[in-house]
Amino acid sequence: MELADKAVGCFLSAISLTIFIYYTFWVIILPFVESDHFIHGYFLPQEFAILIPVFAGVALLSILCVFVGYVMLKSKAKKKKQT
Amino acid sequence: MIIIEPGSHLRAREASLFERSESPKETKQGNIPKIQGSQAPHLSSPHPPLRSLRRSRYTSRNNQHIQMKHILKIMALVVAISAIWISLLETSVIPRSYTWLLPVYLIMSLGCYGLLMVGVGLMLFPTCPQEAVLLQKDIGEAKEFLKGKGVDVGSD
Repeated sequence: MELADKAVGCFLSAISLTIFIYYTFWVIILPFVESDHFIHGYFLPQEFAILIPVFAGVALLSILCVFVGYVMLKSKAKKKKQT
Repeated sequence: MIIIEPGSHLRAREASLFERSESPKETKQGNIPKIQGSQAPHLSSPHPPLRSLRRSRYTSRNNQHIQMKHILKIMALVVAISAIWISLLETSVIPRSYTWLLPVYLIMSLGCYGLLMVGVGLMLFPTCPQEAVLLQKDIGEAKEFLKGKGVDVGSD
């Protein structure tokens, strides 16, 4: 059981580090590199650097709201069934 | 009839494992009745109720002060960073198209930091396998004892 926990922890930290390094590179370092460097091919255009996190944040918030609403409705239905 | 609080012997065992048992949840019980007779030989003494109750009220009030100061610190930091960023934008050091980059970058890095802490905490989580075995033995003994007294314990 500890091995599964350790594996999940390792996976999560690896993902977070990857995302952080990629995003730092994208936002901070890339504007200072000349336009015809080869590395620009590996990164999407700069507008996506803002669109993707905002989109992900909005999706996360809406999923949370839907989940909270669903749980509240279910508890209300359960209470009605009991009384 | 013996009034036995479910899990009281387990809680006593917890108190010996974690010495700082100051959580207000545990001290609400007041007097935990001792299991009479010699059936539970490895029990430690029940909670000292009043002393820890007084201590928990003091720490909860102190906690509120500490939380207020923490929030003020965080808000001051946010105001300072936004002031610097807006001043940089207004004085045209940074072109206007970069307006949203810093806030989004900060939020992203905060989320990444949280995820990293969760992952690191998962990796370094301390497990005590011997204590787990002893705990299972305790649970088995308690179930047998309660079954002998005629109390209905849940199914396995």
